[in-house]
Amino acid sequence: MNQKCAKKMERKLNKLKHVVFKETGIVCSLNPTNNIVICNAGLVNGLSEETILEHFSVYGTLNNIVLVPGKSCSFVSYVELDMACKAYEALNGQLPIAQDNKPVYLLYAERLPQHSIDSRKVWDELPGGLVILDDFITENEEKLLLSLCCFDDSLVSQMKNRQVRHFGYEFRYDNNNVDKDKPLDEKIPKECDFLWKRLHENTDWKQFVPDQLTVNHYSLGQGIPHHVDTHSAFEDPIMSLSLNSAVVIAFKRDDRDICVKLPPRSLCIMSGETRYDWTHGIIPRKSDVVLSNTGSYTLLPRGIRVSFTFRKIRQGECNCQYTRNCDSYIRKNNSELQIAASEIERLHVIDVYENIALHFNETRNKPWPNVLEFVNSFDVGSVMLDVGCGNGKYLGKNKHVFDVGCDTSCALLDVCKKNGFETFLTNCLQLPFKDAVADGVISIAVIHHLASEERRLQAIEEMIRILKVDGRALIYVWAKDQHKNNEKTSYIKQDRKNRKSDTDVVVADENSEAPVSKGMTLPVHVNRTQFKHKDVLVPWRLKNQQNTVEDTFLRFYHVFEENELSDLCSKLENVEIERCYYDQGNWCVVLRKTLIKNS
Amino acid sequence: MKLLTHNMLTSKCMKGVSVGYPLSIKALDIRTVEVEFNPEFVAKMIPKIDWAVLCSAAESLGKTELPKEVIDNYENDQDFLKKVHHILLEVDVIDGELVCPETGRKFPINNGIPNMLLNEDEIYL
Ligand SMILES: [Zn+2]
Repeated sequence: MNQKCAKKMERKLNKLKHVVFKETGIVCSLNPTNNIVICNAGLVNGLSEETILEHFSVYGTLNNIVLVPGKSCSFVSYVELDMACKAYEALNGQLPIAQDNKPVYLLYAERLPQHSIDSRKVWDELPGGLVILDDFITENEEKLLLSLCCFDDSLVSQMKNRQVRHFGYEFRYDNNNVDKDKPLDEKIPKECDFLWKRLHENTDWKQFVPDQLTVNHYSLGQGIPHHVDTHSAFEDPIMSLSLNSAVVIAFKRDDRDICVKLPPRSLCIMSGETRYDWTHGIIPRKSDVVLSNTGSYTLLPRGIRVSFTFRKIRQGECNCQYTRNCDSYIRKNNSELQIAASEIERLHVIDVYENIALHFNETRNKPWPNVLEFVNSFDVGSVMLDVGCGNGKYLGKNKHVFDVGCDTSCALLDVCKKNGFETFLTNCLQLPFKDAVADGVISIAVIHHLASEERRLQAIEEMIRILKVDGRALIYVWAKDQHKNNEKTSYIKQDRKNRKSDTDVVVADENSEAPVSKGMTLPVHVNRTQFKHKDVLVPWRLKNQQNTVEDTFLRFYHVFEENELSDLCSKLENVEIERCYYDQGNWCVVLRKTLIKNS
Repeated sequence: MKLLTHNMLTSKCMKGVSVGYPLSIKALDIRTVEVEFNPEFVAKMIPKIDWAVLCSAAESLGKTELPKEVIDNYENDQDFLKKVHHILLEVDVIDGELVCPETGRKFPINNGIPNMLLNEDEIYL
């Protein structure tokens, strides 16, 4: 190196020294230590442990590699000082593994950063319920099993490049499940039978005989994303035999990340916690960085690996204790919730409206200006559906469109019919319309009567389903906050003005609750006051001729927080929120149906 | 129920039904209501509807005046538009039922209002 170049390098390294210190707080210099910092390449530039190990292990044994999350520098540590010096001399300004194949610049570091990405990776323990049996089969048996599956093009299905073959039942990677009603003609080959005899003789799994086999053929650089095998699909345990090449498999739960080496001819038994609660996956790369038990890193090149994964199809539902990944538990829990919600809606919405319909009709005549404006924004020949039209106060307002209303209340639709409006009876969760037929949908003060978030989302989904692309929907729901911008809404103001005529009796107890469904109770709201709860029962007082209260009905409401409605709508892929506003004590959105965004 | 509404109705939300369209009509009481004729509205509606379904629905109510195919240049044919206007908007099924083509499930029409409500065991939870 000539003097000019040396000067240039010195300036460069001096600059990088400050960058590294700023990024990691680590002091580095030209004074040799066991630790080398790669100043200009790290995780953010796509550098991997594997690449570092490949190039740096040439000069000696590494006892650490540290890639700092979000940083563009990384660290290697050698067992001996002279190894570090040799590597430094050979690689500084030379090795082209920085971004765009530029050379790396190196310095010596006084220490390694403490919080590295690797500090979470664990090598020396196994998750509960995981057993690895080394040399479960002999080399001859390995050859025999490999010969059972020649992966020629006509037999294998191409799946994310990994080649897969199924026996007994097809395992579908799109939903991690099997079609239990469609067994395959091809059962698990007889040649595998010796495995179970051996398993029964040598382990505690005395009963396990699988009826489903998936053979995966991993070419160099291929992996499998993290997943839990669907609980309801398979029994416990799941066993996987590794053939031909070793690989490192990772098990993750919460922030735990355990790396396990699977040698060829080993049997990996996943049961209990491992089978139900930990995800497992294989990083797609050509070699694995393995921490040996002497504390040094070595590079384990992968070859073509074939795995035989044996499972037993589960009949019925899973009843494990690991509920968070348990599809059976989630389904059961969800369906119980849905049943309760539908009961609340039947008793405290549908039946109530039927009972109060005539009185309701007398009180609900004045349309809201912003809703009218929306209705009138549609062109001649547009098709509009009013979901939850009630007495039809927004129907027939735009004379140029064809508008249809729907509701659950027969009595309210009879009022619509009297006024010459077109309607049908339906629940807003199942709109009996074809897909993409409407130009516009309005749903004013309706979905706040649905008793679970899933059902509220489902109702919006239905409205969007029947809209054409570019069609628009307007949704109003009651806001929890009735004092927005320090202005009381008319709902609150009516208290003084209309108290005599509207509510002669005010519920005295502010904390009263009423039973709704199997042991559940909900708070009863005090009319004309701010909402204290999000899921409430709102009394409707039906009066007789003498204007005295004859009967009180409790209507269920879920009142919405700010942004709650737009957050819900954002869950849909084919929706754009055009406008979101507060009006008359309601949260309101205007949605536009879009094509499904490319995912 | 007007035939324009019928043209969009389906029983596809029922468990086990895939298309649920078109629903056949069994009418017991059909009335005619007068609706103001708007040729522009009808012309714009024609490309949006399923013509074959409209024709067979009209036929099942004994109305045979519609041609099997939409005529050319219909936008300017007042007579044709009037016929379509009548079938789409003025024919009103007051009593009867709609029938799902896949399951035979009947949806009653009372007072001109189809009851499309599904029972709990007919929907996906
Ligand atoms: Zn489970």
